Amino acid sequence: MENLLAARAQMALSLGFHIIFASIGMAMPFLMAISHYKWLRSGKQVFFDISRAWSRGVAIFFATGAVSGTALSFELGLLWPKFMQHAGPIIGMPFSWEGTAFFVEAIALGLFLYGRKRLPRWIHWGVGVVVGISGVLSGIFVVCANAWMNNPAGFDWVNGQAVNIDPMRAMFNPGWRTEALHMILAAFEATGFAVAGIHAFLLIRSRGSVFHREAFKIAMLVGAIAALLQPLSGDRLAKGTAQHQPLKLAAMESHFETSTYAPIIVGGIPDKKTERVRFGIPIPGLLSFLAKDDFSAEVKGLDAFPKDEWPPLVPVHIAFQIMVGCGTALAGLSLLFLFFLFRNPSRLAHKRFLMLAVLATPLGFLALEAGWTVTEVGRQPWIIYGIMKTADAVTPMPGLQYPFFMFAVIYVFLFGVVSWLMLRHINAVAQDYPSSANEDVHA
Amino acid sequence: MLDLVTNQPITLWIVIGFLAVSLLLYCLLGGADFGAGVLEIFLRKRQRVEQHKIIEKAMGPVWEANHMWLILMVVILFMGFPEVYSLISIHLHLPLTAMLIGIIARGCSFTFRHYDAKKGRSQKSYAVFFIFSSVWTPLCLGIVMGSLIPGGIHPVYATYREGFIDSWFRPFPLALGLFTVCLFTFLAAVFLIGESPAGEIRTSFTRRARVASIVTVLAGGVVFFAAQLDDIILIPRFLHSAIATACMILATISLPFFWMGLRKEWIWTVRSLAGIQVVLILSAWLWIQFPVLVHLPGGDLTLFNSHAPDRTLFQLAAALLVGSAFILPSLFYLFQVFKLDEED
Ligand code: HDD
Ligand code: HEM
Ligand code: HEM
Repeated sequence: MENLLAARAQMALSLGFHIIFASIGMAMPFLMAISHYKWLRSGKQVFFDISRAWSRGVAIFFATGAVSGTALSFELGLLWPKFMQHAGPIIGMPFSWEGTAFFVEAIALGLFLYGRKRLPRWIHWGVGVVVGISGVLSGIFVVCANAWMNNPAGFDWVNGQAVNIDPMRAMFNPGWRTEALHMILAAFEATGFAVAGIHAFLLIRSRGSVFHREAFKIAMLVGAIAALLQPLSGDRLAKGTAQHQPLKLAAMESHFETSTYAPIIVGGIPDKKTERVRFGIPIPGLLSFLAKDDFSAEVKGLDAFPKDEWPPLVPVHIAFQIMVGCGTALAGLSLLFLFFLFRNPSRLAHKRFLMLAVLATPLGFLALEAGWTVTEVGRQPWIIYGIMKTADAVTPMPGLQYPFFMFAVIYVFLFGVVSWLMLRHINAVAQDYPSSANEDVHA
Repeated sequence: MLDLVTNQPITLWIVIGFLAVSLLLYCLLGGADFGAGVLEIFLRKRQRVEQHKIIEKAMGPVWEANHMWLILMVVILFMGFPEVYSLISIHLHLPLTAMLIGIIARGCSFTFRHYDAKKGRSQKSYAVFFIFSSVWTPLCLGIVMGSLIPGGIHPVYATYREGFIDSWFRPFPLALGLFTVCLFTFLAAVFLIGESPAGEIRTSFTRRARVASIVTVLAGGVVFFAAQLDDIILIPRFLHSAIATACMILATISLPFFWMGLRKEWIWTVRSLAGIQVVLILSAWLWIQFPVLVHLPGGDLTLFNSHAPDRTLFQLAAALLVGSAFILPSLFYLFQVFKLDEED
């Protein structure tokens, strides 16, 4: 395997692994806090149990997120030393803030998990909220760094050196707002539907369990709100992409020729040689609208750029389809959920609806990984868009395929262990929390 | 030299201060944490369950906070001293990767062991990973530190071996790795004396602390010997600097007091002495290294010639100061809730 390819594969693997745990780390504290709040207000044991059962599982995710994140902070240097050498002074800022946020998060988490008996109730709850807030802040900071790679700002590039560096302007680059918002929503959406799906499954197995019904409702509500906002945020994001990275947008949509009334192509496989999309269904005007808020606007196609700067077309196009497909499906499910919740709550326990929720379990995370693939692969061959090529940033150490294979084995193994632990955890819930099986007449 | 030192902007000094303090705290707090894992090797069957409980109770709430110091160091290096970060990442790729694997294995096995919903046979496997990585990670850390001395990194290299292996696979870094493991174990044993109830268990931690202190002194001797093998003129460099010499002398003469304190089981005396000894040893090392970060044949990379531009330093220093305003009170609160509250 070629060195550059191995480095990219290792980076993608590590980030793809980390982001799952990071997203759970951002969203889960809020789910717990909601349930905890309901307990503090209503005094109903079931909400205490839900929050407690969740927090036990979450500790495992937290630790895995923390170690995989620590690994990443080394890997950035180990794989892309030249990138870090130039980017460090410019974009180290969000990372140092991220460090602060993690620190607060780790401390608050220690207090939250071990302090249930020692802290006053409401302070304990407040500490849980701090865990969530600092998790979200760290997510925002790291996405600022990524947004900068897409929209470099805050320096002048003179003869291969960065001068006039302004870390503040780099951090708050033109892309950070939309990208961070999209990412945070994605974390809540993915986690919400995954948790809801698990409880829906358990609800089908033990109908009438108050525990699973309430847990399902909380998780679903959080997921649904995020899912309905996500297409709006995606639309904002696409407008930014159209402005700052028109080539990436063209690759996402396999839009080969610059044109007005540009179509969105649903499905299909782009072919770089013939410059055609096979099997796709074009919807005229929609891309122009997505990019410029105007059905007739002109959208630059791939033909406006030199062919050797095109990103890999097939993965970018397909990943974008997967993301938008999952997003649409989840938004549909959310509408249904909200409709039932307000008009016909008994329907929420209907088996068919629960089956739908079970099917939706992985969709959020699928969209999340696909979204990152769009952003990252779509930026190739650049590591800093328009400034530095990925090939120029890779470490000179030969033989990178060996660390890659090793990390692949480690991550697959870890993933297996974490899944196994979750299964054990879910099975244990039934025994530890009587309310998970009991019916409760007045709830 | 004095001129060079006084002419630096205050922001650089703030950044350097944070770098040094993070290193110290990582060695002290993280060190005790790693060492506790090493100590598990030596638990006797009879007391294993109780001692394991003590270790878990002492480390549980703080372990994640501990390893943040390492991340802080990484962030300061790559934002404040990007050339150094890049150079180290390239040439010490292998020991750093090895250390990463240790960090991953340790963090995961610790948490999985604690949070596994069923406490069954799997506990044994977690323990194996946990103990192994508790030895492995500080070993790699010491090796990495040991490679920064003269003759370590070759930025211009002809062969793979010269560029990526010779820098760390040599007597001195390996000996320093060994020393780090011993030092951390020593710290943990001393710390745990105070965490255990008076009686048989405390006596056994006391005995371990004594053994560990002797082994650490011996390992220190090995480091000097290995330096000789590697043609590193370590002793003259120590003697050259009055402060470094003073630190080493102080560390040595405090040893008898430490042993006496151990015999009497004066918990806070031995804890403070052990902490002070580690701080002294690290300070001596930092002092002879100062202001060099990485020794290179063609001109060393120092704190003063490899730092980021002023504006970056300013913002980094500001971030560190503001960050500590959040972190220190909450860290204090965490320790207070868990350490000063002895009932339960
Ligand atoms: C702060 C920076 C940052 C962030 C937040 C992410 N990435 Fe990234 N990613 C990089 C920084 C980066 C990188 C180091 O810059 C790479 C290596 C080569 C490149 O161009 O970008 C990269 C490459 C890269 C590639 C390979 C691209 C290719 O082979 O063409 C993939 C598939 C991903 N990443 C996936 C992800 C996922 C799933 C992420 C979710 C967390 C993610 N990235 C977040
Ligand atoms: C270059 C990429 C990244 C680096 C270097 C990185 C670094 C880190 C580090 C060092 C930690 C451990 C902190 C601890 O000990 O608690 C961590 C955890 C975390 N990261 Fe990342 N990260 C990266 C990508 C991301 C992304 C893309 C996100 C999400 C938007 C993210 C969000 C988080 C969160 C929320 C945590 C806390 C996880 C938890 O405590 O469970 N990170 N990351
Ligand atoms: C349904 C409509 C959606 C649209 C129109 C949309 C649009 C976009 C666009 C244009 C990008 C690329 C940004 C760039 O130029 O770098 C992107 C990235 C991304 N998308 Fe979506 N998206 C949608 C739904 C989703 C869903 C449902 C998720 C996950 C639950 C998701 C997660 C992500 C992630 C993680 C990224 C990469 C990170 C980022 O750039 O913030 N998206 N999205």
